[in-house]
Amino acid sequence: MSTLQDKYAGVISAAQGTGISDLKITEQDGILYIAGNATDSAAKDAVWNALGTIDPNYSASDINVDVQVAGLAAGATLTVNTDSTNLNIRQEASTNADIVGKAAKGETVTLVEQTSSEWWKVKTADGEEGYAYARYLQA
Amino acid sequence: MKKIIAMAALALTVSFASTSCKKQVSDVDLQTSATTIVTANPSATVEVKDGVAHLSGTFADQAAKDQMIASLKAIPGIKDVMDMSTMAPSAPAVAINTVDPANMQKVTDALKDFPSAKAEVINGELTLTGTVSASQARKIKQSVDALKVGKVNYNYTVK
Repeated sequence: MSTLQDKYAGVISAAQGTGISDLKITEQDGILYIAGNATDSAAKDAVWNALGTIDPNYSASDINVDVQVAGLAAGATLTVNTDSTNLNIRQEASTNADIVGKAAKGETVTLVEQTSSEWWKVKTADGEEGYAYARYLQA
Repeated sequence: MKKIIAMAALALTVSFASTSCKKQVSDVDLQTSATTIVTANPSATVEVKDGVAHLSGTFADQAAKDQMIASLKAIPGIKDVMDMSTMAPSAPAVAINTVDPANMQKVTDALKDFPSAKAEVINGELTLTGTVSASQARKIKQSVDALKVGKVNYNYTVK
């Protein structure tokens, strides 16, 4: 085990837990990369909680955690998990794109497709369809 | 007797010569002092000739050059400093932006809901500054790590 892997052993063991597939642990240029696919938000959160116990400020530059909820089927139900505001649903996958709809905190939306790791295409209960920032969607 | 006078004359000459040596420091001694000063800049050299220091090589900036010339002039015995040195071409003022503009847009997207955090590219590395809470820092790192833009400096204050 390298120094970095020792330092972040807790994160690695959390990532090796259930709910994470295609786990890749690599080191490059002094950065420890932990990447994998999570079956749901809880599995992803478990890895990030482990990082929080080592780096409570989430400001470390020597670790890169890229664990994304992936492989969700179209039609999956997602919960809007914003801090308090409405989640914008946009025409394109960018914050520069026009807003075509909004979803309130706690509301559920239907997944159309996981377009990228940042943007998912969703459909609201009102039938508005567009791209929402994946960080605010809980699977 | 003649021999003794000759010897005395010689001794007198030698003593005169050494007296004049004390007044005028030899180029060899000056060279030693000057070289000691100039070694501070590995890309510069100095040559002392007839009490005049000839400075050559390159300097990073005018201030460094002026300072060295002043130090050379301060050596007792140096009459003057001939400046034959050049200035190094100045480094580009703006660091080369090595973060893909498409990625910068993604970073902007990730920070949109956190106006107290700011992203900029410093020395080719994405650097985040400002003030955020720990939970915001977690969300930002979740988004930014996923972009894989190389080293990211999370330099903001976490409260």
